[in-house]
Amino acid sequence: MLFTSFAFFVFLPLVLAVNAATPARWRWAWLLLASYVFYAAWEPFNLLYLGVVTVVVYGCGRGIALASSRGLRITLLVAGLAVVLGLMVAFKFYDFLIGELEQIAGIARVLPRLGVATPVGYSFYAFCAVSYLVDAYAGRLAPERHAGNVALYVAWFPKIFAGPIERATTFLPQLGSALRATPEQTVAGLQLIGWGLFKKLVIADNLAPLVDRSFSIAAYATPVDLLLSVYFFAFQIYCDFSGYTDIAIGVSLLFGISLMENFRRPYLSASTAEFWGRRWHISLGRWFRDYLYVPLGGSRIGPVRRYVNLMAVFVVSGLWHAGLGYGVGWTFLVWGALNGLYQWAGVATGPVWRRLGARLPRLAASTPLRVLRVLLTFHLIAVAWVFFRAASVGDALLILERIGSGLWRMPGLLLRYPFSVDHYLGLGLIALLVVLEILDERRSIWQRLAAAPVALRWAVYYAGIFALLVLGRWQAREFIYMQF
Amino acid sequence: MTHPRKTALLFVAIGLALYAGVYYAAERQMYRTGDANPFFKIATAAEEDFDWVILGASHAMPLDFEDFNAKIERATGQRILNLAAPGAGPLYNRFVLEHFLDRRHTDNVLYVLDSFAFHSSTWNEERFADAKLLRRTPFAPALAWHLTSYSLQEGVDALAVLDYVSGFSKINNRDRFQRDVWEGEAQFDRTHRPSAAADRKRIDYLYPSPEADPAVFARYRDVFTSLLDTAERAGVRVVVVKMPVPARFHRLLPEEPAFDQAIGRLLLNRGIPIHDFSLAMDEPRFYFDTDHLNRAGVTAFLSDHLGPILRGD
Repeated sequence: MLFTSFAFFVFLPLVLAVNAATPARWRWAWLLLASYVFYAAWEPFNLLYLGVVTVVVYGCGRGIALASSRGLRITLLVAGLAVVLGLMVAFKFYDFLIGELEQIAGIARVLPRLGVATPVGYSFYAFCAVSYLVDAYAGRLAPERHAGNVALYVAWFPKIFAGPIERATTFLPQLGSALRATPEQTVAGLQLIGWGLFKKLVIADNLAPLVDRSFSIAAYATPVDLLLSVYFFAFQIYCDFSGYTDIAIGVSLLFGISLMENFRRPYLSASTAEFWGRRWHISLGRWFRDYLYVPLGGSRIGPVRRYVNLMAVFVVSGLWHAGLGYGVGWTFLVWGALNGLYQWAGVATGPVWRRLGARLPRLAASTPLRVLRVLLTFHLIAVAWVFFRAASVGDALLILERIGSGLWRMPGLLLRYPFSVDHYLGLGLIALLVVLEILDERRSIWQRLAAAPVALRWAVYYAGIFALLVLGRWQAREFIYMQF
Repeated sequence: MTHPRKTALLFVAIGLALYAGVYYAAERQMYRTGDANPFFKIATAAEEDFDWVILGASHAMPLDFEDFNAKIERATGQRILNLAAPGAGPLYNRFVLEHFLDRRHTDNVLYVLDSFAFHSSTWNEERFADAKLLRRTPFAPALAWHLTSYSLQEGVDALAVLDYVSGFSKINNRDRFQRDVWEGEAQFDRTHRPSAAADRKRIDYLYPSPEADPAVFARYRDVFTSLLDTAERAGVRVVVVKMPVPARFHRLLPEEPAFDQAIGRLLLNRGIPIHDFSLAMDEPRFYFDTDHLNRAGVTAFLSDHLGPILRGD
């Protein structure tokens, strides 16, 4: 069931109404049932994988809590991780690697295939499961006795398809509350749902056809087409994914459950480290930091290990993203490695920036320099997105080569380019988004709205709702990250 | 009533009023750009009585491309209303005919028969939910009621009713400022270069289920029979034709002889004439794509085959 489908707009009020009528101590059961219905509506068979992960998380978690020896605790942790991550690796890569192997060996299709697509959302609830087991082993989390609560943590429907990758340490304590929203949570939840729908249906889905067209004919599209598509894709994927997250957080708030912030105006980052560390897919960044980068030694062991660890995190992140809508291919590995290289460059040039800041503090803090850094960071990220979106590494290189070769002629080409209504709409929506994000960076848009006169506030709400009705693409296009 | 509840009601009330305004504007805009939709044609037809109404799917649509309907009227001396719609099977055509007969009158129906339309719900129940058709269908309470009855009795998706009544597809119409023409009309003057791959792709599109399901065929045969009953009750004579298609395309049609035999028997029993022109015009110069007549094709078809039928020669 998609957040943008009619079924969901029937499902959500129904779940809310029954939840309100259910005694507080049984609400977990109702919400668990609703979560399973929500997940099964996509593909009932996928409940099997969700069930396996839930049983493993609960069983190994309880085992770790009750185990008398460290050896047994390690065994349980490794066993749990092996099942959860092993399934993910098998789903994502087995068929792809077998195919590549056969191609390299020059043999026909002889090796057996799994023929099973990764269950929708698996990567997300698998990472929740991993964090639960590792936190239980490390003593950061007291494994939950209540199996229903663990099941609800894994399956909670607003986050099951595409996160945020919530930690059990923040999620489980909230299940002890009434599981009903306060009026403030209801207002905030509805605002986030509306904003998320706007980002997804009005911005991302109006940009998508323009992006799809150019990327599908990379060899024939003009350099201007390709350049516009690269910019448009940067905003498409941002609005698609952050739109999903906003809706997920908003829906969760309607039940009184707060999920973590996952995006913080990422294209206003002044460095790629800031982009990945503090603004884009924050829950995944923290997950990699806590469960991969730090256990590998982080930056504590020495400069060389720091570089290796950074690259390891981004390569693994690339692999995790493989299979997301645009197929399983080497592009994701290149995308991860390229972002790893950006981090290397950031670490290597860090001392230069610090010296500059010490010698010329006014220049370092000036708005023009900040704007320049933001633009540079955005373009670095946009170049990496080309590998994320392209059908193959060859296609990605072709796109970048064609844009690069036409770059010096670009002003003239842009003046003669036959912009369509859809181009103008896309550019206008991006401009609106950037303006709102810049305003939001200084002071929250929601705070500004709350302080505004009622007439202005309502006008904004109506404008948003009618933009959704008039400009939204409601033809059930999936969220990109659901397919990871 | 508490203050927050009053505020919420006021917000909803203003929202509904705004929605009504947007709905009205979308409906007006639909009348400005409407053209090919069968319900639009029924609602805006200048005349009450026609000699012929043409029903069918996209193969019948070139007969009304640009000013061809007027040309056919001049050539035959008949008043003709072409109500064909892309991908429309017998269920959708029966719905169109029933609505037409509620509003207007015709002496004859020319039904353009296509076997693919009897093989899948895609071309029948699901056509009612197509936003491209709904966004060009004028609102009429009688039509809403009619659609509701189809939802209850024929398995048409209730969302189609909701969409139609709420006007959502009209409000959300991306092509709201463009004239309502089927994409084939823009290619009317082209000549198609035969391609086996294109033929195959087209057949796969028209027959989404690789295996013909006898129960599905029986269902739409019965629907077609009830369409004939509807015409008969209204005193309307029905003539059935099969439009020409290239021979290489015809060879790919799955189980066409069995279809011809079954429908031929049905029509024979009712004394309804069927004119099979499937293989009458094989030359590629008559088609703008794999299976639709272009301007030269319609001109030749009119003079050699259709004209005499419409004139009753």
